[in-house]
Amino acid sequence: MVAESPSQDSAPVAHLTDGHRPPGRVVDVGFRLLAMLAGFSVLIILGLIAFSTTHTAWPAFSKEGIHFFTSTTWDVPKQRFGALAFIGGTLLVSAIALVFAVPVSIGLALFITEIAPGKLRRWIVTVVDLLAAVPSVVYGLWGLLVVAPKIIGFYKDLASDFAHVPILNTLLSGRPLSGVSFMTAGLVVGLMITPIITSITREVFVTVPTAQKEAAVALGATRWEMIRGAVFPHSRGGIVGAVLIGLGRAMGETIAVVLLIGSSTELTGRLFSPGETMASVIVNQFGEAQDLYRAALVGLGVALFAITIIIGVIARGLVARVEARAGGA
Amino acid sequence: MTTFLRRNALVPLAAVILVLAAACGSSGSGKPAATGPGGSTSAKLPATTLKGSGSSFQDPFDEEVFRDFTTDAQPNVTVNYNPAGSGQGQTDLEGQLVDFAGSDSLVVPGDVTKFKGGAFLYIPIVSAPITISYNLSGVTKLTLSAATIAKIFSTKITKWDASEIAADNPGVTLPSTSITVVHRSDGSGTTNNFTTYLTQAAASDWTLGSGKTVNWASSTIGAAKNAGVAGKIKSTDGAIGYVDFADATLAQLSVASVKNSAGTAVPPTLAGATAAMAAATVTADVTVSPMNASGPDAYPITSPTYIIVYAKQTSHAQGTALKALLEYVLDAGQSKAEALNFAALPPALLAKAKAQVDKIVVP
Amino acid sequence: MTAITAGVPVTRLGPAAKHRSRAIRNGFATACIVLSFIIVLVPLALLVGYVVARGHQLFSYAFLTKDIPTQITPGPGMGPAVFGTLLITGAATAMAVPLGVLGGVYLSEYGRRSVIARVLRFFAEIMTGVPSIVMGLFIYTAVVLKTKNLNAFAGALALACLMLPIVIRTTDEMLRLVPAELREGSTALGSRQARTIMRIVLPAAAPGIVSGALLAVARAAGETAPLIFVLSPVYRTNRSLFHGGNTALSVQIFQNASSPYAASQQRAWAAALTLIGIVFVFTVLARIFTAIYSRRSTAS
Repeated sequence: MVAESPSQDSAPVAHLTDGHRPPGRVVDVGFRLLAMLAGFSVLIILGLIAFSTTHTAWPAFSKEGIHFFTSTTWDVPKQRFGALAFIGGTLLVSAIALVFAVPVSIGLALFITEIAPGKLRRWIVTVVDLLAAVPSVVYGLWGLLVVAPKIIGFYKDLASDFAHVPILNTLLSGRPLSGVSFMTAGLVVGLMITPIITSITREVFVTVPTAQKEAAVALGATRWEMIRGAVFPHSRGGIVGAVLIGLGRAMGETIAVVLLIGSSTELTGRLFSPGETMASVIVNQFGEAQDLYRAALVGLGVALFAITIIIGVIARGLVARVEARAGGA
Repeated sequence: MTTFLRRNALVPLAAVILVLAAACGSSGSGKPAATGPGGSTSAKLPATTLKGSGSSFQDPFDEEVFRDFTTDAQPNVTVNYNPAGSGQGQTDLEGQLVDFAGSDSLVVPGDVTKFKGGAFLYIPIVSAPITISYNLSGVTKLTLSAATIAKIFSTKITKWDASEIAADNPGVTLPSTSITVVHRSDGSGTTNNFTTYLTQAAASDWTLGSGKTVNWASSTIGAAKNAGVAGKIKSTDGAIGYVDFADATLAQLSVASVKNSAGTAVPPTLAGATAAMAAATVTADVTVSPMNASGPDAYPITSPTYIIVYAKQTSHAQGTALKALLEYVLDAGQSKAEALNFAALPPALLAKAKAQVDKIVVP
Repeated sequence: MTAITAGVPVTRLGPAAKHRSRAIRNGFATACIVLSFIIVLVPLALLVGYVVARGHQLFSYAFLTKDIPTQITPGPGMGPAVFGTLLITGAATAMAVPLGVLGGVYLSEYGRRSVIARVLRFFAEIMTGVPSIVMGLFIYTAVVLKTKNLNAFAGALALACLMLPIVIRTTDEMLRLVPAELREGSTALGSRQARTIMRIVLPAAAPGIVSGALLAVARAAGETAPLIFVLSPVYRTNRSLFHGGNTALSVQIFQNASSPYAASQQRAWAAALTLIGIVFVFTVLARIFTAIYSRRSTAS
């Protein structure tokens, strides 16, 4: 803190030459308090979110108990609300998104850190940043009006090609076969989460000690062998963390999914069927909902909040560990 | 400076400039605002905003007629209508968050006390058929009886070449495509009216009850709003669903004729709707139930739609504007109805509706 | 033997790498890696391409200022939505940026070694991952249900919650880049910490902080989910923050996208073009400020 010079007693003396009186102790303490309050605002708001939404959702939780999460019966007239189909839908869309996004993101991160020369690197980072900047609703608009009508032909071909292959014939089918389906939503969400996974993976790759990479090359490794031998082992935890963060984003993605997933409350493994996720069902049914129905929908929001917090904690912890380890290497 | 710009801003800036240049290059053609027939002669009200919410069934009518009201009759009054569904409209009116609610269904007796502003009035405005729209390649004419409709929508019949459908359509070749039932995924007055019809006309075959939402089988698909259902039907071969007349016409869907209680197959037309409305009894609070109406020309799935308002208004400005709006809807609005794919009220009912508006008390 | 410098991609392959199968595997892996760039580039190009191709006809001054026509009426008009986006995002920025900068100041200047600061920093990062729909539901349950009012301010609150952790984190990071010598010098001259921060540290980090704020604004301008619960639609521009409903470009795009009428869909494309334009401009500005900042900090 400030070392008081001997000439300073009760009256603050202007040491700086701009002629203004420097702020006294009050301002200093006041500013510090203000800043501290601002810092704590994060925790306060998170706490308020948890409290307010849970409070509104409580009637649904207390009525359904654990069945809220384990039952597929979402029956509005009978006022039974089991969200399993939507939880399943959320996981399905996220899984599809990750299957496509993770290899592409890792490849892209490797391209940026290991292969691309300086100038090209800047271009690529620009492209990835622009991809991240496009709003979700524009992805949804494009997906709905451009991708969905065109992709249904592709789904039909796939469905007929694999009609006799066990397991795959259920996966690659739809009841009904629709352009707006889990698959379309998953693909577009995968595109949307690629930038964040890429950027975190890139951060992790950058922490790989150059000495290890040099050693591998000096021993005669090809680039790929160097990556496998020096980059990956060091980054494993960080990559998992990045993937988890991408998963969190995919699970929370709402607007693009609402537009691209059709609407069906069936729990199914048929990827070309329409469906619902927790987020999309909130949007689709909120306008009409009253009382217990509304509480149930807010309850879905609470579940989503809890899941993303938990995934976030695990993910950031993993990434932090890798970066800490690199600091000591 | 140039190096700096080149390294950091040039690429993304170029992208942005390209995008915006392409956009600004062509100027959009501005369409002049629609001008209706000669303006009203009544005094111009001061600037007011009226808020309404509710039924999406009446939205195609409301959207145009409310705008015409502003353009032709009262330029200073803005009317905002939120087609969030009949249930939302009723809830909003209960809490006095809106000046009026649009609704296809009546308030259930248990909810009457929730209306904080006291007694409310039903004002019927138009009616329209609820069509059974379908998308089946090669089939342009289709007739269905109430029992068959009930079986299709409760998924007891799953293929288009089922015997019941064939019995309703002698001489028509039906493909063996699977039937995809499309329904409303959001709570809806249209669903309520459709399922009420099925409960009345096909009680033995329809087991899902009636209401703004029913528990559809999981193999059916839902879409939001009438427009969403129309879009889904249009893009899915083998699909069938219930869509209001306006949206079905605008989406150019194929519609089925329905056998009414007299046994005649009546296509969903405005004439059929008017016939049903004329044949139905009007209750004391000016509501009608033309479902499954008798009469040879009546289309059996006809839905009236109402605007609900409080009998006692709390604000002079809002109340006066509201009355002016309702008078416009029941006057000039009625002549616009057909062009917007709605059936105007039959004369007797129209007179009673106007009497309802006169009952509104403005401070 | 070539010297290998740190940070440069290692490209030298030793003679043993010429062995056939290893070379093939290496080539295949390299091809896959390059492919991933193309896989990302193509959809982005298609997306921007389609938005421009389908949106540019309707995009004009009239489009940005006229009232919104009815669904079936063709023609331009998104004035209320443009104004709404600016109003709501502007109000959110006014709330989130000062609070966020102060919060970042706390984390960076006052809490460098404390556990509390580490916890706060951790949760700020977690909060950036909370889905925006949860923010919308939160404001709905905490504000709209209590005040019974659907207005632009509620939308601004929801967006501010979204922007806050972003601004806190970027401010924190940018402030940490300010060299310690600047702070030490100011302290040595006798100023208290608040003055050091306000007069020396913040101005030094200003471009970086502005960059972070611009990114947060870009993100908020594009958000839809938080707004659909708290806004009620209008077709004429509503300039009031607290009275009456409002709309925004993102909400209009969302509603028009699922409309079956070609006229509405046309407006959705043009609105998407407008929104992408706004977001890209802010993103580019943010990068310029970041570059100014890194130039400044390396130059010192």
